[in-house]
Amino acid sequence: MRAERCREWRPLLGAHALGQLSPDEQAGLEAHIEGCPDCREELDALASVARLLPLADPERFETAPALPPALAGRVVGRIAAERRTAQRRRWGFRIGLGGAVAAATATLAIVLLPGGGGPQPSQRIEFAGLPPGMEITATLKPHAFGTEIEMYVKGVRSGTLCRVFLRAASGSRLPAGSFRYRWGEEADAVLTSALDLSRTRTIGVRVGNRTFVAPVSTDQTASSTQRDQTAASGRKIEEAST
Amino acid sequence: MPPRALTRERDVREAYAAHASELYGFAMRSLGDSGLAEEAVQETFVRAWRAGDRFDPQIGSLRTWLFAILRNVVIDLGRARAIRPAVADGGVEPSVEPLDEALLAWQVEEAMRRIGDDHRRILIETYYRGRPYAEVARELGVPEGTVKSRVYYGLRALRVALEEMGYEG
Repeated sequence: MRAERCREWRPLLGAHALGQLSPDEQAGLEAHIEGCPDCREELDALASVARLLPLADPERFETAPALPPALAGRVVGRIAAERRTAQRRRWGFRIGLGGAVAAATATLAIVLLPGGGGPQPSQRIEFAGLPPGMEITATLKPHAFGTEIEMYVKGVRSGTLCRVFLRAASGSRLPAGSFRYRWGEEADAVLTSALDLSRTRTIGVRVGNRTFVAPVSTDQTASSTQRDQTAASGRKIEEAST
Repeated sequence: MPPRALTRERDVREAYAAHASELYGFAMRSLGDSGLAEEAVQETFVRAWRAGDRFDPQIGSLRTWLFAILRNVVIDLGRARAIRPAVADGGVEPSVEPLDEALLAWQVEEAMRRIGDDHRRILIETYYRGRPYAEVARELGVPEGTVKSRVYYGLRALRVALEEMGYEG
């Protein structure tokens, strides 16, 4: 019965692929394989793996070099710097309506320090209580010059003017720049404010004629769950004037 | 329009979380220096981000694409720091392992790290250390036949690990 013979011979296929069977066993196995396409197919697969074994260095089998934890931040920082360079190049060509944005990028070019970030961690804030289909996410990063704000907006009409501001603990409100939401534009808008992240209590976005606010966490160990719960109290404010 | 592979920062973070460890492992093996390996990984993600619209997920996986980029980065880094004596035409520097072979070697080593301790041990003892089956069987306190069948399952596990890593061949 072929199945029985396969059961008997199959476990020897590995040793055979490594050339480690005795001459008798080898002869017996090869005789079986001649009449068994399944075992032949498996032997071919194991043989192709066996051919790779001599390439490897067994000294390296136990541990792989550990990924340095700080590398992640550096990679992300490098990409962010790349994007700012690309944006500056692109937005620099816009005139007229894009004037305010061009001014903001000019500020970025002068003030931004390489690397960025300090002991205080960045924060990612998802606005809650928005109209259906709308999404606003702000990522705030501390820098020596103040705070970098990366804005992601979705679900508003293309061309809508968006204006961002931060509110300090003292209550004063500092503008953080503006941008136009364009449908199909994949890049996030990157803005800056002179207000330190540590002194920021609220971030607000005026989208068209509606304003949305979200609290900024002051507790550096706050979990994202906690932040989401406090953000749920974010409310829509109709403002008569800015 | 095909999706860009790494469009925004979150994409880079996800790709990094998924693949950086493997990329770094191979970079370390090829370059032998942690500083250069870090630079290689950084440069790989930057190039991937820049070339995002040239990545077609239908052709291959992101992991394969990142490794292809890393391969070129490693070549460039190797060239940049090379201070080698001139080699005569047709001559091969004996200490330089061809990069494709290094990648294969690294894949096998990584696969070995992924299969269970028992599978790995049996392949090390019987293949890499070339010890007779009878001796290994005595040491483990099992019949010789068991050692042979463990070799079989070990090689199968290795094959699965390689396939999961995207190895084709």
